Order: sequence, then C-alpha cells, then structure tokens
Amino acid sequence: MVEQIDSADLVVGILADLDQDGVATLCEGLRTLPGSLRIVVLQSDPVGKASAADSQAAEENASLSLLPWSVFGPDPLGAPLERMSIACQSLFAASDKLGARACCVVASKMEIATARWVCQLVQPLLDTDVDLVVPYYASGKLQGLLNSSVVYPLTRCLYGKRIRNPLGPDVGVSRRLAQKILGANRQPKAAPNGTHPLAALAPVAICDNLQVCQVHVGARLYPPIDWMNMSSLVAQVLGPVFVEMDKNAACWQRTRGSVSVMERGELLSLPQETETLDIDRMVETFQLGVRDLREIWSLVLPPATLFELGKLSRLTQERVHMPDELWARIVYDFALAHRLRTINRDHLLHSMTPLYLAWIVSYARELETAGAAIIEQRIERLSLAYEATKPYLVSRWRWPDRFNP
Amino acid sequence: MWDQVKQALDQSTTRFLTGLATLLPGIVALIVALLVSMVLAWILAIVVRRLLSGMRFDEQLVRWGFSSLGDSSLAKSPTLLVSRTAACLVILMGFLIGIAAFDAESTSLFVRSIFAYIPNIFGAALVLLIGNMVARFLARTVLIGAVNMNLQYARLLSAGVKWLVIVLAVAMALEHLRIAPGIVELAFGILFGGIVFALALAVGLGSKDLVTKSLERDAQKASGEHIEEPFRHI
Repeated sequence: MVEQIDSADLVVGILADLDQDGVATLCEGLRTLPGSLRIVVLQSDPVGKASAADSQAAEENASLSLLPWSVFGPDPLGAPLERMSIACQSLFAASDKLGARACCVVASKMEIATARWVCQLVQPLLDTDVDLVVPYYASGKLQGLLNSSVVYPLTRCLYGKRIRNPLGPDVGVSRRLAQKILGANRQPKAAPNGTHPLAALAPVAICDNLQVCQVHVGARLYPPIDWMNMSSLVAQVLGPVFVEMDKNAACWQRTRGSVSVMERGELLSLPQETETLDIDRMVETFQLGVRDLREIWSLVLPPATLFELGKLSRLTQERVHMPDELWARIVYDFALAHRLRTINRDHLLHSMTPLYLAWIVSYARELETAGAAIIEQRIERLSLAYEATKPYLVSRWRWPDRFNP
Repeated sequence: MWDQVKQALDQSTTRFLTGLATLLPGIVALIVALLVSMVLAWILAIVVRRLLSGMRFDEQLVRWGFSSLGDSSLAKSPTLLVSRTAACLVILMGFLIGIAAFDAESTSLFVRSIFAYIPNIFGAALVLLIGNMVARFLARTVLIGAVNMNLQYARLLSAGVKWLVIVLAVAMALEHLRIAPGIVELAFGILFGGIVFALALAVGLGSKDLVTKSLERDAQKASGEHIEEPFRHI
C-alpha cells in the first residue's frame, strides 16, 4: 500500500491496538503539526478497519494518508519484541523509500490519550537537529520494572546518557538515524546476531554523537504481565540489549559517568498503587534457583557473587535483600557470559529470572509505601551503583579469564 | 631301533623347524607392524594433544555440559583421553595389519570381518555422543524452566528427561552394534515406558494445584472478572 505514495515528510507506524476513535484522535493531532507536511500513517490492523478509515481520511485532508500495514508476516503471534523488531525494520525501510525526514513508532496506549502526545515525539525531529526522541513515561513503582532494574541503569552507565526508556517502544527517529539502523542490518557482519532496531537506536545514536531528546508523554497503559512467562520476557528484552552492548564495546568502555539529555514537556507523576503484594513465591523461586541452578550460575558468576547469593538464600523471607552493587555485578556477569557464549544464550537469559525476582522482592519491600519522589531516588541510587561498578565490568570484559574475583 | 627313533625325532624336528620357519616371517612382520604403529601412535597423540589444548577442548566440554568427563578415572583430562584413544586405535590397526602377515586366508578373513564391524562402532559412538549432548541440553532446559515455574521437583524432572534421552541413545547404539537386539528392544521398551510413566505421575500429581489455579483463572477471564496484575514490567 506504501507503493501508492510517492513521497512523505513524516511516516507514523501504529502498532498499538487502537480503535477507530483512537486513530482518529491521533491523526487529528498530527494534522496540527506546523508546516504543510505530507504525513503517512501506517496502521497495523485488519485490512477492513483501515480501509474504511483510509477513504475517510483521504477525503478530509489530502496531506495525511492512512494506510493499512501488514507488517507481521506469517507469524503475527510471535514473540512481542520480535514482532516489534520486524515492524521497526519495515517502518524504517518505508520511511527511507518515501524520503521522509522523520518517522515515529506508536506502540503504546496512553492512559490519557490526548491528540498531542504523538506530536511531542515528532516535533523535535522536524524543528531541530534531534535524531532520536524517546519517551519518558510517568510510571508507577511497579511498572516497567525490567527497564528500571536493568535497561535504564545499564544504558546510562554504558553510554553516559540518562535515557529513561531507551527501548521506547514509542520513539521518533530521524532519517539519518533510520538509515544507520537499516545499514547496520544490511552489513554481512551483522548477520550472526542481527540488529534489533529498538535496542540499537539509543546506542547507535549516542556512539555516533547524534542528538537525543527525551519527552514527557504521560502515563502508559502497560499490558497485563504473563506471570508464568516471565523468563521469556527477560530473555526477549535483555538478549538484544546484551548484543548491542557487545557491538558497541569500543564506545562504552571509554565513557565515564553520565549526563542528562535534552528534555521536553513536564514531568507528570502517577498516583501510586497501594495494594499489598504477595512476594513469597518470588522468594521461593529465588531460593530454588540458588539450590538447583548453582551449577549453571557457577559458569557465569564468580565465586564471590555465588557466595553472597548463597548467604541471601539462607535468610528468612522477610530479610532477603539484594544490594544494588551485587545486582549490578550480576547483570554485568551475565552480559559478559552472553558475549562469550559461556552457555547457550537462551539458557543463560532464562536462568537469570530467579535473580531478577530477588531484586524485585528487595525493591518492592523498600518502596511499599513510598511516593513518586522516593521511587526516583531509589532508581537514581541503583543507577549510581551501576556507574560505580563499571570498572568491574571493564576489567572482566577485557580480561575474562584473568579477572575472576 | 635306535635308527628308527632317531629318524622319527629327525622328522618331527624338521617339521617343527619348517613350521617355525613358516611362522617366523609373519611374527617378524607383526612385530615390525606393531613398532611402526607405536611410533605413529606416539606422533599422533602429540599432535592431537597440542591441537586440542590449543582449542581449549577441556573448557569447551565444560561449557557444553560435560563437566563430569574431566573427573573420570580413565584420564586426567578429556584432552588426554582423546589423544590416548586415538593412539590406541592406531596401535590396534597396526596389530590387525600385522596379523594379516600370517596365514593369508584365515587371518585376512578375520581382519576383514573386524574392519567391516568398525563402521558400526563409529556409528554407535556418534549416536552416543549426539544422544549425550541432546540429553544434557534438554536436561538443562527443563531444569531452568521448572525452577522458573517454582516447581520443587525441578531436579527430578531434569534428571528424568536426561536419562530418558540417554537410555534411548544407548538402545540405538546397541542396536547399531547388533548386540542382543531382541533383549535390548524389550528392555528399552520396559525402561522407557517406566520412566515416562513415572514422569507423568510426578508432573500430574505434583502440579495438580497449578492446573487447578490455571483453570480457575481461565474460567474467571471467560466470565469477564478483572484480575489485578500488580507487576507490569515493560
């Protein structure tokens, strides 16, 4: 369907499951962008719904075209991040083909879906030299835990930029950055691991000294978590992050400390949940992991870390607390093992789940009755622990056999 | 009479010496073949040991899940085991070639039958090796999955899967070697069936609470009841 269009200034790909009203609101917001922009909106939904909206949109305003987007191919029910990767590749390719100045991925539903929130992601790309616009969601203390525990502090520590949601999933990308990502995937050397576009955006932008902007977009509607599939989620998210870490090792080994990036919008705070949590199961899983996965962890973690985990597992459930430095070292050790292929990568990432659950237990207990400000301080403390432990990572990365405390 | 005894002794001595003279070249050829094969085996062992040490074969085996191989009493390390095995094979081949220097017809039949059996040995060894690797991979997968699902019998499940695959591989290897095929087939069927039955009981009885909760949750979803999910990770 993109073949019907000759060119565009902006391409927006909608991956979120929005109803017609939601799409209409979004299109209405895009039409308010200054300048007579030619905008193409690609909606990944059943052909029937998009076609009706398409003809309506075409009649109303010729500068905005709404097209159906069959992006997921033969496996529409595949792993979510895998589908996101395919979708982003497709969007970047379409944007490049149309010669668009910028493109944008809309993958989330917002709690308060105003017409303007997507425009906030797109405007910096059109007005200024910004190449990557990432969202800063107003999230509750129990939302985006994998991002808070690993992705954000790791990205901040490695690349020196405080990007709160480096994996988006709602992002705005300039033409220059989209071409770099497309080019990275076309190179033969990229073939073994491939490049996950979402995971590569922030590292590529930072390492190539491109401009990054962070936008406060409000509260996101997070999908309900599949509790039984937690390990698959950890593997899907951390796998591409570790792959990018390996690819950009020459860049992040030189970085020290971190700085803030350009921000737009106002920081919004979310009313905090007050429900009590049953975390006994997570502690049991952690203790079971220490007992049964020690043999696997001994291939990844150094003896000192195993010893500390053993001590933690022998504590009573109320006293289990994983220190930030220990958690940071564990993440670094798993990243190194991922690079060295110490064990099968799938096994490696799945075996990390009990440790992640132990961190959640510590985090949840600390912040049981905490407000938004305390949560921010807590995550800041964790991020500083990652930065303080970076020399450990660099030493192990450079001399994996010799440096093994 | 003494002349007859002397003649008989002379004849038997002549026969003995003739037989010895017939055998002697064969014995010499066998000894030479053994010596040559020992030299070749020694050279091969050095080459194999250096090659495997350069590849860090011992560490690779540990990563692949064969950490117990290094503790075997057969050798101090897997590298040493492989190099010594290669050397022994060369010496064995030298011995077989040396035997062919004796009575051409019967020994060559014997050697031919041994050489004809060697592909079966290699096939069986390959089946065992692949079976072992698959067993360890699956055992590790099941162990990690079961721990993440908070199943207390994760180790038992993992061991069951591992031994299931190993028993299958051993049965296939024995069938390849044509060793008591009827007995192996029957024993394998009984053992395999027993392991599967035991696993099914363990999983079925152990996880009936899990299944009940899962069915209750599905029923609630179908009736439209909202389920609170406090953790929304990404």
